[in-house]
Amino acid sequence: MKRTGFLFDKRFLLHKTGPYHPETPERLEAIYKGIEDAGLLPKLTLIKTSRADLKWIETVHDKHYIDRFNDSCIYGHKTLDRSDNQMCSETYETALLAVGGILDTVNMVMKGEIDNAFCAVRPPGHHAESDRAMGFCYFNNVAIAARYLQMEWGVTRVGIIDFDVHHGNGTQHLFEQDPTVFYYSIHQHPSFAYPGTGREFEEGNGDGLGFTKNSPILPGQGDEAYELCIKNDLLPEFERFGPEVIIISAGFDAHVDDKMSDVNLSTKGFSWIMQMIVNMAERYANGKLISVLEGGYSLKRLPELAKNHVGILLNGGENVY
Amino acid sequence: MFISKSMTRDVVTTDKKVNILDAKDKMVKCKIRHLPVVEHDNRLIGIVSDRDIRSAMPSIILHDYNSREERERLSRLKVEDIMTPDPITISPSYTLQDALLLLQQKKVGVLPVVDKNGILKGIVGVRDLIRAFINVLGIGEPGMLLGIVVEEQIGKMKEIVDAITEEKISFGSILVARYWDEEKRAVFPYLLTKDISRVKKKLEKMGFTLIDPLQWYLEQLPKTS
Repeated sequence: MKRTGFLFDKRFLLHKTGPYHPETPERLEAIYKGIEDAGLLPKLTLIKTSRADLKWIETVHDKHYIDRFNDSCIYGHKTLDRSDNQMCSETYETALLAVGGILDTVNMVMKGEIDNAFCAVRPPGHHAESDRAMGFCYFNNVAIAARYLQMEWGVTRVGIIDFDVHHGNGTQHLFEQDPTVFYYSIHQHPSFAYPGTGREFEEGNGDGLGFTKNSPILPGQGDEAYELCIKNDLLPEFERFGPEVIIISAGFDAHVDDKMSDVNLSTKGFSWIMQMIVNMAERYANGKLISVLEGGYSLKRLPELAKNHVGILLNGGENVY
Repeated sequence: MFISKSMTRDVVTTDKKVNILDAKDKMVKCKIRHLPVVEHDNRLIGIVSDRDIRSAMPSIILHDYNSREERERLSRLKVEDIMTPDPITISPSYTLQDALLLLQQKKVGVLPVVDKNGILKGIVGVRDLIRAFINVLGIGEPGMLLGIVVEEQIGKMKEIVDAITEEKISFGSILVARYWDEEKRAVFPYLLTKDISRVKKKLEKMGFTLIDPLQWYLEQLPKTS
């Protein structure tokens, strides 16, 4: 059994998105309940959050953007940059708490206090660009964690795996010229899904050429297509790259019952992917794996998906079916 | 939609007296396939393409490339000997549509843009048009494509636009494909949002048929009996 951390804080619920918005506090409650009802909480190292130091946010985001975000919340604006990004006066603080908790989690993993962790945070991050909010995302949690690993812990090669059904344009753009961070994303084909990026031929540029990899999945495809792409695209790339730490952008919206996508990944398919990743972390990164929540909007499916996700972290990738 | 917005303004040009091998080097270096030929006052007098140059070169199969006569012949050949004089040009007030139709009709690769005095102002090639189209389609911005089958009836488009506008969603573009089915057309709004589930439901409730990407995908698969 692994020592698995679980980052959760009720303050992550304070970011409210208004009526008819899919990215709700209830998502996080469903995730917590799924883990609690499965009796997993006593087995986990519970992590409370703390506010992130702005200097870490600034490793990824433009200072003017950070100020603009803060001001928008102070003035009570209901959206930032696009009508999708609905928010409230607490959103800025909540976003800082999400990053802070993830950085605390990184510290625990690097000090060896825990082996791996799942960070159930809101708001999500992978669409956030250096200078603007996008697709419900404000601060790019995963990108900041990668930079923190490098600057604070001297890690030279960070591998990011993003299985949210939407392409993580923000994360890709932040690292596409950087050969020290490998970004892999598997998602619904950009011609049929937000945000319209993440095509096979986007492979990084400059020094970063060959350190970005995208596997688009066509609508209607499911477990089989995911399995093929993970085996043929992700495995050989990580074998070559050899990440010292792996970060997951964990979105659960590729599930067949999730209304935000048209791909048909099953609950079992999610577990298979997670086992592959845990095995990869074992092989290259001495087990060091930090999973960070992105999307996933089916309140009915989130409990079981979160339970399995954490269960696989705890079991070190053994078969849990 | 005027071409002056989409054309390349910093045009790489050549003098008519330049040797064709130097012109070829310039094209390779600048990754272009056409060189407008200009006088000292930037007045356009011709255009030379990489194909013009290749046609003037000896065949590596039939000729001895390095023979003295060949080298001498090539060193004497100037751009003016092989260029197309008075090429088809357009004015900066041409529209994007004009340029597209003209390129198709004349089967040329580029259209130099000149003012009424014949002075070169820019050039429009396939690459410029691709850039312009990515802009028109709005696909440089994050968003999602919606597909709706619509009867050929006045007012249907308004219903769709109104329904989407009511949801406070911005448009990246709207494409209309004619003759999708007989007497039906398909409308493709590209919407600058991540969540189209509500607007989809709304349109279906209003009686529109949405194009299901899954169905679409299945239909284009090779049929096996």
